Amino acid sequence: MATKKKGCLGCSLPVAILVGGGALVFLVMGLLAGPLGRKFNVTGLPSWMTLELPEPKLPADVIFHIAGFGVTNTLIATWVTVVFLVLIAFLVARKPKLIPGRVQSIIESLLGYVYDLCVSTAGEKDGRKFFPLVATIFLFVLFNALLALIPGFGTLLFHSGEGNLEVLRAANTDFNTPLALALITFFTVEFMGFKRLGFGYVKKFVTWGDFGRAVGKIFKGKFDVMALLSGFIMGIVGILEFVSEVIRIISLTFRLFGNMLAGEIVLLVIAYVVPYFVPLVFYGLESFFAVIQALIFAALTIVYISLSVTGHEAAAEHH
Amino acid sequence: MDPEAAKLLGAGLAMGLGAIGPGIGLGLIGNAMLNGVARNPEAQGRMFTNMILMAGLTEAVAIYALVIAVLLIFVA
Repeated sequence: MATKKKGCLGCSLPVAILVGGGALVFLVMGLLAGPLGRKFNVTGLPSWMTLELPEPKLPADVIFHIAGFGVTNTLIATWVTVVFLVLIAFLVARKPKLIPGRVQSIIESLLGYVYDLCVSTAGEKDGRKFFPLVATIFLFVLFNALLALIPGFGTLLFHSGEGNLEVLRAANTDFNTPLALALITFFTVEFMGFKRLGFGYVKKFVTWGDFGRAVGKIFKGKFDVMALLSGFIMGIVGILEFVSEVIRIISLTFRLFGNMLAGEIVLLVIAYVVPYFVPLVFYGLESFFAVIQALIFAALTIVYISLSVTGHEAAAEHH
Repeated sequence: MDPEAAKLLGAGLAMGLGAIGPGIGLGLIGNAMLNGVARNPEAQGRMFTNMILMAGLTEAVAIYALVIAVLLIFVA
């Protein structure tokens, strides 16, 4: 910047002092209202300014039933996210402008980033083909986590016989939503690999051919220990390949579930320890993690798909 | 030992021991990133994106430990 800015941090000096002073007052008040201030009992703060120790719940609460199936609060949050995304898509795609407005430029830059990721990982043709799936996962995970950070999202309560239940809760803090996403990825990977390579895809897992040939040689009277051993190891490698494919489901699920649940618990605990001002920092951190986790899930999906459709010989170069 | 105490002890041990590996991993990632930037400062933007991605993947290992700890406290 050539021009010298007046004041501090882009504000005029009185405004900067006011904002900084306000933040400091809230910080001190937060420290006093937390367990530290209560321990020493220095102030007689009114009870509505302090928080009780939160109790994070692991299973999602069932709000109501439809034909015997329990509808949990995370499922309702999923619907809210879906409706939100459909509305955004409708708003942007109904009348796309050549010079994008605010909403359109956000969505365009997000999708452009994911598109570049797909094309650079899987090549032009496959990248275009699998872009819709990857972008859907990215947008769902991202906006699901971001919507949960909006104030009021988790505080909407539902009175029932079992006490107060939250109506909305971030969908990925329930174990089932990340599992569903991971299963979608897993079955897409296996199906596309099978479709593209035919039975050649199964060859990746069933690698007992060398072992069989070595065993066949024994009956012909040629006992070759090395061929037998290396054939056996090749067979084990095939089994390991299969196990690593299945383990992907678990790792994808727990990565997303753990991050989202940890984020929620961190926010709850920090709001208990220092109720004012400091949770703001963690809200920033959580919105950053939402982007990172969505990006990781989408990137891993396209990487797995591109590995499975390129065939074993071509994929072996990557390892 | 009291089962409740064992539960809390297990949760603490799971989280603490589980954070060792990812801590070393994150250090290695930061090391590699700084080495790369020192050698080729122009590529910092692309390196930073990749670093964040790898850091997320590494951090996930600690998150698995956290999930186990949370399960021990709230479910077991």
